[in-house]
Amino acid sequence: MPEWLLPVIAPFVVLNAIIGIVTYVTLLERKFAARMQSRIGPYRVGPHGLLQPIADAIKLMMKEDIVPTAADRPVYNLAPIVFLAPCMFIFATIPFAPGLGVADLNIGILFFLAISAMEIVGLFMAGWGSNNKYALLSAMRAVNQVISYDLPFIFSALTPVLLAGSLRLSDIAMAQEGLWFVFYPVLGQLAFVLFIVSTVAAENRAPFDILEAESELVAGFRVEYSGMKFALIQLGEYAHILGASFLGALLFLGAWSGPGPEWLGPVWFLIKAMCVFLLVTWVRWSFVRIRVDQILALSWKALLPMTLLLLLATAFVVVWRHSGVA
Amino acid sequence: MTGEALGFYCLSAVLVGSALAVVLTKNLFHAVLWLALALTGTAGIFLLLDAEFLAAVQLLLYAGGIVTVVVFAIVVTERLVGERISQTSRHIASGAAVSIVLAGLVVKAIMAGPLTSIRTPMTGDVTALIGETVLTRFVLPFELLALVMLAGLMGAIYFARPED
Repeated sequence: MPEWLLPVIAPFVVLNAIIGIVTYVTLLERKFAARMQSRIGPYRVGPHGLLQPIADAIKLMMKEDIVPTAADRPVYNLAPIVFLAPCMFIFATIPFAPGLGVADLNIGILFFLAISAMEIVGLFMAGWGSNNKYALLSAMRAVNQVISYDLPFIFSALTPVLLAGSLRLSDIAMAQEGLWFVFYPVLGQLAFVLFIVSTVAAENRAPFDILEAESELVAGFRVEYSGMKFALIQLGEYAHILGASFLGALLFLGAWSGPGPEWLGPVWFLIKAMCVFLLVTWVRWSFVRIRVDQILALSWKALLPMTLLLLLATAFVVVWRHSGVA
Repeated sequence: MTGEALGFYCLSAVLVGSALAVVLTKNLFHAVLWLALALTGTAGIFLLLDAEFLAAVQLLLYAGGIVTVVVFAIVVTERLVGERISQTSRHIASGAAVSIVLAGLVVKAIMAGPLTSIRTPMTGDVTALIGETVLTRFVLPFELLALVMLAGLMGAIYFARPED
């Protein structure tokens, strides 16, 4: 295979794999949620409802594409793409096994966090472009929430960075060969809990789903979208959650390390990411929505100081251990 | 033309075009979106210069953070004023004159010095170097910046406090 072909093939494979996984992650969530509520969940399409996501995708593609007359057309039409692009970009830096990834940047985690924060641009484009009261309200809430929760999300993700001493994602994964960071005494567990909480919030899921809020805002910023555009937004949202799950598995659960031969690494990684995803889903289906001001207060008054303190404590421990060794 | 030059010209076209659109578009919200594109383009230029760290920070702080805050400001002011605010660009002629003169001066200053066409590739971890210099050689300016930001925050709180 010629050298120049690799940068073309690798993103293509990753992109398609991600779309495939995202499609089935929706089924996983629906099944999981159904079990939590003593239901069966999707069952009719295919054995055990296994073909349900495909039926959903076909249905969404066949649907009529409606554009509201009062919409800001260019913004409205561009929004799903602007929303989806960063959600897909975040997978570029994730190494799925040693040396197996699209781009193992030396600032990998920073790139991941920066790109994932870009999601908000597409979100408020959708909210504004729809020219709908509910959509705009939802976009404003999203802006509020993103400003508040990006910082704790970043700070909690930085704890493993400090422990590993590198911003490169593969280095962070390698640093956990002996001990997964989630098992690092005290610091690891605290950081993991804070990471999960801020992930749930940063992904705008219940109990932090004020911008979706079915009971007050109908469906929030995507209320005017239908058909393929709706599918794109949905795809982006799940891709983003999946990306955060992979990040969580990589930062805290030792990425691809696991028993068995080396080629099983990506499988272990996927299983761990799914565990993080189910954890987030579990939180989603267990709690009721919190009020807007409570959510913001939780971030600024509790999560932010806690993550900052944790970061400081981690820095102290790292410096102390290094000086002890040297 | 090398790939790097090609990338530079494409990015520059996007950057200049979107920057012009920021000033010229009537719709304030569209202006913010163009601004987001311009800031993303700047990050692209940083990437071309091997400054990955700077590019990522540019995206994180400007394209993600600043743009969000600006949107917030627009929507909140529109609600307070009660009407759509549109961009009028009243001083467009004088603004254009000033920027053309400025651009001329910058080009002249650059042309005055000899230009090296070959750039030596960066070696080593630039990110670690940035961290080290910020905390050793440039620690005083760095801390001063933090103070300035603190002052700004306090000012904002002062203006936002409820009248008693």
